[in-house]
Amino acid sequence: MSGIDRDLPTADALFEHAACGLLVTANDGLVIRANATFCTWVGCSAEDIVGKRMFPSFLTMGGRVFQQTHWQPLLHMQGSVAEVKVDLVHSDGRTLPMMINVVRRQHGSVFMTEMALVIVTDRQKYERELLAARRKAEQALIERAYAEEKLHETNAQLSKTDQRKDEFLATLAHELRNPLAPIGNVVEILRAKDSNDSELQWARDVLECQLTQITHLVDDLLEISRITQGKLELRKEHLDLSAAMLAAMESAGPLVRRQAHELIVNLPAAPIRLDADPTRLTQMLLNLLNNAAKYTPVGGKIWLSAERQGSEAVLTVRDSGIGIAAEHLDSVFDMFSQLAPALERSQGGLGVGLALVRGLVTLHAGTISARSEGFGKGSTFEIRLPLLDVQAEAAKVAVKTSAVKTAGLRILVVDDNEDAIATLAMLLRMQGHTVEVAIDGAAALQQAEAFIPQLVLLDIGLPVMNGYEVARHIRREAWGQNMVLVALTGWGQADDKLKATEAGFDHHLTKPIDFDSLRAILRAV
Amino acid sequence: MNLQQRNNVHLGGHGDSSIVFAHGFGCDQNMWRELLPAFAGRYKTVLFDLVGSGLSDLSAYDQAKYDTLHGYADDLLEIIDEFTTGPVIFVGHSVSAMIGLLATVKAPERFKVNLMVGPSPCYINDANYVGGFTRPDIDGLLDMLETNYLGWSSTMAPAIMGAPEQPDLGVELTNSFCRTDPDIAKHFARVTFLSDHREDLPKSTTPTLILQCSDDLIAPVSVGTYMHAVMPLSTLTVIENVGHCPHLSAPHVSIAAMEAFLQTWDR
Repeated sequence: MSGIDRDLPTADALFEHAACGLLVTANDGLVIRANATFCTWVGCSAEDIVGKRMFPSFLTMGGRVFQQTHWQPLLHMQGSVAEVKVDLVHSDGRTLPMMINVVRRQHGSVFMTEMALVIVTDRQKYERELLAARRKAEQALIERAYAEEKLHETNAQLSKTDQRKDEFLATLAHELRNPLAPIGNVVEILRAKDSNDSELQWARDVLECQLTQITHLVDDLLEISRITQGKLELRKEHLDLSAAMLAAMESAGPLVRRQAHELIVNLPAAPIRLDADPTRLTQMLLNLLNNAAKYTPVGGKIWLSAERQGSEAVLTVRDSGIGIAAEHLDSVFDMFSQLAPALERSQGGLGVGLALVRGLVTLHAGTISARSEGFGKGSTFEIRLPLLDVQAEAAKVAVKTSAVKTAGLRILVVDDNEDAIATLAMLLRMQGHTVEVAIDGAAALQQAEAFIPQLVLLDIGLPVMNGYEVARHIRREAWGQNMVLVALTGWGQADDKLKATEAGFDHHLTKPIDFDSLRAILRAV
Repeated sequence: MNLQQRNNVHLGGHGDSSIVFAHGFGCDQNMWRELLPAFAGRYKTVLFDLVGSGLSDLSAYDQAKYDTLHGYADDLLEIIDEFTTGPVIFVGHSVSAMIGLLATVKAPERFKVNLMVGPSPCYINDANYVGGFTRPDIDGLLDMLETNYLGWSSTMAPAIMGAPEQPDLGVELTNSFCRTDPDIAKHFARVTFLSDHREDLPKSTTPTLILQCSDDLIAPVSVGTYMHAVMPLSTLTVIENVGHCPHLSAPHVSIAAMEAFLQTWDR
């Protein structure tokens, strides 16, 4: 016998002091044997247990239910269960986390249940931690889902509110607009009544001026509503940016003059071609000019310029006005974001104009930004619009080149609108023509006879002697037989074209003038 | 919804009428295997797993539907409609005994007799009523469930159930109750042990056997006595057995008690 064999403990000793608790019970659960390890763990002597205690009595109530409902039936069916977690109750009331393996075996004629138990205190600790971590993660998921749902709801609510606001503004603008038309008519009636009462005239002028302002505001409001509701459609066409600039300059004229501002326009050296809605393009620039005029103290300067930068047209409106504080630069295009200092000014408005400009720029796939060195240092507004595709324009560029040859015509421009006449003359002179101007019919006839222009651009809506009469007069004169007469009328009045032809006009253009059409006419002279 | 798959329904046996078995909390239809041969020669047999247990379709476990035992009772009636003809003999263990009782109240015409094995209408003590448990006891059970299901997340279940037709020991779990999702197990435990259907007992007009064990922690004899007192057509039989599953630990005595009852009521 070797030394190791000789020192080997007996099977009984091994059983009693095994590294695990060992237990044998009868079929009904009565403990038949329990080793010393088990007895020590539960704080009882073997005499207290064997033949006296049922195994479930060592379990917590929850553990007993778990045994009865879960692993005891399984033990009956498959003869063994493993890795069952139970809490054993120590004689002093403490509970001990245990893991047990159980075998049910037949010994002779009876079934016995044999169990091996190990203490799993540490294991239980990290199991609990795992569980806690899992719960925390699940809770976090639930909270996130909840937060996302809330956010979604809030967004839906906001967009609903926003939609209602848009609808409200649209309705409001419509409702406000209705009474404006009759008020306008009354102002016209007052004008028609010849009155020598200077107070009455003054009152009428104030009324007219204010009416114009409120009409603009309501129109802007309506336009914005249409943009936000996706109801505004652009009538895009290929056009020259200079035309829109001149048209805007013309319309801004009265306000600019009233404020004694100096408006400096720098037209681009070469034509800049865009695919845009001419009316809307003019409207954008006009709003920026009006804005500049409003927020620039009397006698200030306003610059309007445009240039080509890469694939973009850059339009800039700069002023020497009150400027914009850095913190307001981002919100200046939001509706009703009018800055506090502006509200104190007599011309303070609701801040609808800039929002409308941004809406229109966006519709044209462009961008708009504002810059300012700070309060009192003026503001610069910059619109960037995509240029027409160069290739698509290649053909037209060729035509343009030939247009240069037409330079040098003598042209008479007749219009009672001083701004219109100034801008149109400016444009024609830039193209190398010799231009004379007249602001009414009588002056037009005098100029025509003295200057003998090759072409006359004649506004129809002249006071006293209208454009048709002027044309007929010209045609009656010997010097007027070969002149090319071009009628200028308001937007889209088709039947006027017929009248124009009868009066002796060669061509007819509607305002705002399409410069391509005008160039074609000039080329043909 | 395919009922066969939802409830893992298994049909067998021969006979004119059907006998339907429903397992208790923590088990599955395998627990009927000692009893089945005694009835398969005379009846068509229908075995199934409650949704959330055994090899039922866990994805069909709708917390709202199974928030009361009525959800399970509705399933039972669907199974009876789909897989049997005429009124059936119903054998329900533990919680399924109460599920069967609720079904007999809803549709008495579908049942010939109701055999309740280890039933309890209410597990928690209430005034003079002795259910055997207090609320903290049930919390202790929930805790026990949690630690024993630890690691068996629902995401692992499909992998384990991937090869049910090939019971490979390497794949098969030692403790089959761990197949189910821990959240389902806890919810089912809560629904079962916090249920109180004492008021439904007198509403059942189906002849009923109340089969109690002499020493059952889950359903003490006092509960059987209470039930027998309030149920009009009930028979109480107490068999000598320690534990909650006489059909496993004392199958022959259980069969004898059931046969005796059937001889009186199913002739």
